[in-house]
Amino acid sequence: MDTNKNSILSLSQSLLSILARNWALLFVLVLILIFSFTGINFFSYKNFQNIFHLSTIYLLLASSETFVIITGGIDLSVGFVMGLSSVLSATIMRELHAANFTPALSISIGSIVGLIVCIIPGLINGVLITKYRVPPFISTLGMGGIASGITLVMCEGFPVTFLPPYLTGIGNGYLIYILPGKAISFFNRPEGIAVEELRNLIRIIPNSLMFNFIIIFILWHILKNTKFGQHTYAIGGSMDAAVRAGINTNKHLIIIYTLSSFLAGLAGVFNVFQTGIGNFTPFTAMYELIAIAAVIIGGASLMGGKGRIFGSIIGVILLRIIENGLHLSGVDPFFRFIAVGLILIVAVVIDQLFPDLL
Amino acid sequence: MKMKKSLLWIVVLLLSIAMVAVFSLAGCKAKAAAEEEAAAEEEAVEEEAVKEEVEEVAEEEFTILYVSGIADPFMYMLGKGAKAKAEELGVNFLEAEYAKSWGPEAQIPILEAATAAGGIDLIIVVPTSTEALIAPLKKLYDQGIAIITADCFLGDGDYSVESNYSFPLAYVGTDNKLGGLQIADHMAEMLGEEGEVFIQNTNPDTSSVVARGEGFTEGIAKYPNMTLVGEEWCLDVQQTAQDQTATILQKYPDLAGVFGVNLFSAQGAYQAVVNAGLTGVVKIASWDATPDLINALKEGKVDLVLAQKPYEVGQLSVEAGYNYLANGIEPDKRIIPGFEFFTAENVDDPDMQQWIYQ
Repeated sequence: MDTNKNSILSLSQSLLSILARNWALLFVLVLILIFSFTGINFFSYKNFQNIFHLSTIYLLLASSETFVIITGGIDLSVGFVMGLSSVLSATIMRELHAANFTPALSISIGSIVGLIVCIIPGLINGVLITKYRVPPFISTLGMGGIASGITLVMCEGFPVTFLPPYLTGIGNGYLIYILPGKAISFFNRPEGIAVEELRNLIRIIPNSLMFNFIIIFILWHILKNTKFGQHTYAIGGSMDAAVRAGINTNKHLIIIYTLSSFLAGLAGVFNVFQTGIGNFTPFTAMYELIAIAAVIIGGASLMGGKGRIFGSIIGVILLRIIENGLHLSGVDPFFRFIAVGLILIVAVVIDQLFPDLL
Repeated sequence: MKMKKSLLWIVVLLLSIAMVAVFSLAGCKAKAAAEEEAAAEEEAVEEEAVKEEVEEVAEEEFTILYVSGIADPFMYMLGKGAKAKAEELGVNFLEAEYAKSWGPEAQIPILEAATAAGGIDLIIVVPTSTEALIAPLKKLYDQGIAIITADCFLGDGDYSVESNYSFPLAYVGTDNKLGGLQIADHMAEMLGEEGEVFIQNTNPDTSSVVARGEGFTEGIAKYPNMTLVGEEWCLDVQQTAQDQTATILQKYPDLAGVFGVNLFSAQGAYQAVVNAGLTGVVKIASWDATPDLINALKEGKVDLVLAQKPYEVGQLSVEAGYNYLANGIEPDKRIIPGFEFFTAENVDDPDMQQWIYQ
């Protein structure tokens, strides 16, 4: 009898703990349920595909921020590094395209240079933070300003246009296209569709989804199954203990900030593919704050030592679903700002109510 | 030790990058300055010639100064128009330096430097602030210099009522609300006067874009079979504009048209339309005939572009000023040149090329 009671107790406790650990996921499910009733056309595969597709850059930024936050740091430069890589790679693509290089060549050279250059801000951040003991907040804030300034000098405050063709075709493409009863094709939409029929064309699995899946899988694997991932948690848990355990913390942190910067650069290059122009990051965009919020919602702690890639992904999806669902439910734009803020705070308050169960 | 060495290399690398950048920039500047000087000398010679000519014809001669808002295609067009008219009328025409950034802190020193030598009868100025430019311009007005504000105005722009900012001769520029109204008419024409439309706006605190939205709203209300389904604010972030338009397309699958009030909102709206596979089905209207937007029109990304007439604004300003100085004729307090509309049909028309800003 007694043992039975105990096992029920421990079972319910472990259930509660699972619940508390995954409250964000639960919250997402509840929101989906509510918005399915209130939102016009909310519950459809097309809308969910759209949410994922348009979340790509946020997913990348949140993943990069996850690594940094687990080590107990913060990276405020990711949004502006993204703008830098977007404008830089777009500018190179435009110049090469204007010089009559083939689209494939100009696109790949532009992307690669953009990615490589965007390692630099992270490298400098890492060195400043480890060697010169500059707090991450200050170092990355400064680096964000520098990256933003360089970007604006390059593009003079205007988006970079006149890029080679095919960019948006790749960035906004889908794996499968189906015109009900008539045609099916892969990667490119069936040829010879009349304009009136476009509204009926069904598109399944955006390219961006597969891209996201691959990147996220790699990052999840690194964090979960490798020594590098274990060291990341160790540093965030206790820097002293990590040092005593023989981890080269300086080297590790430099790699972490470089990785963060690289992922931001990847987001910037993807942004060029998605929008077909090189976008600088305006100060109103607040990409880094959205990414940080998503990571915290996903169960990470700003103190470090805690956090999961999967959690951060859920955090991003939660934020995007709130925005999308409220919009489709007909909440006016200015009220939406209020609602997003409120839901965000309530969500984290719920999290704080169950700290013991974690 | 190893870290130190790599740090050293990073520093060396950075220094060399910085030096290359500085030298190339300095080189550019020196070159540009030399060119400017040469051009200025040429101008001076020409002016001298014009002066002599004018002196022979008439006793009186006038000098008009143009103070632009920022170095961009729109302001250059305005200056070109003013200069052409001044030459036609035999008036001395001076151009103050084009500011690198928009705002009174950049413009006021330029204004003061350009007027320090005296000898100016009329200033055509694009005031970059409705408030901050009142005092410096009033000072010049009190010295007997006539002021015309072009493209932007002081206070609320109503100079016909006595106030501390009613001293300018006239405001010559665009009526944003009228432009919005006319875009609505053109949109209605494109869509056969029926369907759902949407405004993708930028900043709720910028008077020009707000007025464009208001005009469009009023214009659409005239058509009983057209509905305005909403107005969203993307804060000049293209990614946000894309998100918002995508959500609107999800909510209103039969959406027929979008008015993007500037480059960012139009491009974002267009990307969402591409993303939904509805290119050509959903019409996009936009504002300002910059080379970017004209190119987008040629590529079929945008269907309608409103061109303001900066060249005419310049011409009309000089004309009004000349009539006042030479003949004592008080111009209208508000001089509004019309608009031109670019569509896929007329974009290659030789007559239309003059309205592209360059």
